[in-house]
Amino acid sequence: MDGRGFMFPVDTAIGKNGRMHTVSRAYAPATAQLRITMYDIDSEYFGIYGGYGESLGQFKWPTGMASDQDGNIYLSDELNNRINVFSHEGNPIKYWGEYGTKEGELKGPSGIAFDSSGNLFVADHMNNRIQQFTKDGKFILSFGNKNQDTLNMPWGVFVSDDGFVYVADWGNDRIVKYDSNGEFIRSFGSRGSGNGQFKNPSGVAVDKDGYIYVTDWGNERLEILDKNGNFIESLRGHATISKWADEYFDSNYEEAEPRSRSNLEPDTVQFGGDPHEESAHIEKLFWGPTSVKLDDDGRVYVTESNRHRVQIYERTG
Amino acid sequence: METTSTDVKLMAHLLRRAGFGATKEQLDQYISSGYEETVDLLVDNEDSSRIDDALVRRYFPDQSVTHDTSGAGSYWLYRLVSTDSPLREKIALFWHNVFATGYTKVTNGKPMSDQLRMFRNHGLAKLDDLLLELSRDPAMIIWLDNVDNHNGAINENYGRELLELFSMGVGNYSEDDIKECSRAFTGWSIANSDYIKQLAVRNSIMPYGKLAWRYEYKKDDHDDGEKTFLGYKGNFNGEDIIKIICEQPATAKFISRHLYHFFVADEPPVPSWPYKEPQDLAAIAILEKTYFDSGYDIGEMIRVLFNSEFFKSETCHYKKIKSPVELAGNVLRTTEEFKTPNIRISERNSQVTFMGQQLLNPPSVEGWHQGLEWIETGSLAERVNFASQYLGDITKPGVRRIIRNVMDHEGEYISAEACVDKCLDQLGSIQISQYIYNTLVEFAQENGIPSINLLKDKENAAKKISELISLVASVPEFQQS
Repeated sequence: MDGRGFMFPVDTAIGKNGRMHTVSRAYAPATAQLRITMYDIDSEYFGIYGGYGESLGQFKWPTGMASDQDGNIYLSDELNNRINVFSHEGNPIKYWGEYGTKEGELKGPSGIAFDSSGNLFVADHMNNRIQQFTKDGKFILSFGNKNQDTLNMPWGVFVSDDGFVYVADWGNDRIVKYDSNGEFIRSFGSRGSGNGQFKNPSGVAVDKDGYIYVTDWGNERLEILDKNGNFIESLRGHATISKWADEYFDSNYEEAEPRSRSNLEPDTVQFGGDPHEESAHIEKLFWGPTSVKLDDDGRVYVTESNRHRVQIYERTG
Repeated sequence: METTSTDVKLMAHLLRRAGFGATKEQLDQYISSGYEETVDLLVDNEDSSRIDDALVRRYFPDQSVTHDTSGAGSYWLYRLVSTDSPLREKIALFWHNVFATGYTKVTNGKPMSDQLRMFRNHGLAKLDDLLLELSRDPAMIIWLDNVDNHNGAINENYGRELLELFSMGVGNYSEDDIKECSRAFTGWSIANSDYIKQLAVRNSIMPYGKLAWRYEYKKDDHDDGEKTFLGYKGNFNGEDIIKIICEQPATAKFISRHLYHFFVADEPPVPSWPYKEPQDLAAIAILEKTYFDSGYDIGEMIRVLFNSEFFKSETCHYKKIKSPVELAGNVLRTTEEFKTPNIRISERNSQVTFMGQQLLNPPSVEGWHQGLEWIETGSLAERVNFASQYLGDITKPGVRRIIRNVMDHEGEYISAEACVDKCLDQLGSIQISQYIYNTLVEFAQENGIPSINLLKDKENAAKKISELISLVASVPEFQQS
């Protein structure tokens, strides 16, 4: 599979010079469409790399992405139980990781994030823990599964500039904050659809002012909290037509014309308050928001698997 | 050969027909509840399946959106092998065959999955409710072109099949009735119909994946004029037509025969029904009476069916051939390979297709023909290989438990006869002929099972017993229901 576009993307890494790397998870019969796509915020396309398999540069269930200080791209693979490393240009460099439950072993590595020292935190989701490695895969630390605050299938992970580790505790419907040594500090949220509540959160990021952004995956929304976990705002998605999509419609009038006469934003009452159904019917809404990332200019990037796109927000306040 | 009690044989029969089979442990549990209570449990059970949709969606985004026939089919197969409400899935399978809607024309997995969810929720309800839901179902509206059924320019496709294949059967209405029925369903459409039709025809996923579909009644496109249908006159809309259809004795007979065909014994293919009487007219009469007495309640008809002597009779045990989905459901529930979602479900779904039944894609509006038509040279090999491979796979948790149960309480050694008896028992009290029993015992003997010390050489014993289970999975009775 070549060319632009994504097929069930699950994460985006913002690399050197603002280049974006979005990984498409695709699906079992369409494994040829697994890939990482390189582009920038102006929709300039730079190519693809990676593919399905177990060899160098290949992966099966790609999930989390991160960029190190040199601009190399790291990608977790839940099925091969490893971390893949690529150059900024998409050339495969190496992979590391072994399946298992002992410290330093991996069972379903999911979200990943670097700290300011260049060490990688991995949400080892089937082991219900977070592990810290050097970027070459040497084990440093494991936490999150040793007391009453045990994680339950954690997905996204984020390390703030001041070294705190935030985890999207998917199975427990909360965000958990640890210090850099893995000591539990506090958690935010509870299961639900109200303000400040979560249903299976998938990703978390914290900006320079301490605002916490959470992809509240089960509620199909992005929630924004202040640094104390107080609710600020909830976004359901506001997608517009991208440059790539626009070009598609330009050359496919048969679809564009009836689309222009369609009501793509029906009343949501008929969907019984089920956000999954709402998003299935209303294209602009988030559907399967799997990760949230921030750039140095304060933009917020939400990768959503089920609509095969990334929605980008700018902070206004 | 050990004699099996009537209670066990009957419960095993019920669970094969109302669900996807049951292991000995499950059978014991049901038997302790009682037969009629188990029937009630199966019929009255809401969709309380333990399916964790969140986990499926996390691992398989394509199954989250039920992107195409692969994703939607894999998701359904996972439900079939994981559910605690097997009759709900079985009734969805039943209606999927009667109201056969195919992916080839719909080209969108979401409306197909939505239709199945509707079958799950309404498939045991009253027939008029179900037909109303069906007539508003977006996948059906595209499949049978009601989207092109307009005031002043009718498309008869849905009106015709509603009478011919979905309710009354050929010979019970006229061509004029079809036209009047179609007029009544003008305006029963979907939202954004022009755009959706284009996307369906082009099988387009661009630019942001497939949109879900929703029913829309277009009042301006509905023919509100007077109609004459089956001798009744009025300004009928679709609801009125369904009410009249459900009052017809022909509908009672047609639906009764379908239920008998699916749950009791194979009838000839539907097109021959106008010319061939049902094989058991007395049974059909009981179901017809229940249909009217209960106000067209499908759940009540099934309850009466399962409690009837014509269903319980041993003359109909093992007289149906499992469809590929039923066979796979039986095997995969036994192996317990899918206690949680995993990537292999997509491969299993493809294997079911190779056996001759692609979920969400029946071959025509008539659905799949049942009975011997499931068996041909290629599909038989696929079926036997599938069952033997997975039930003989010692790494599967369900297989390991069966082997453990076979070895339990046997001391150091087990005889070939005892081993065969226990394997048959563990797999759901399978009743086989004396000839096949002798063959299995001979195999167990030749494979050295009686000479293996079960306490000292457990792994070798387990391997040999798994080979015996694999052979049991290939016998005709295991392929039958």
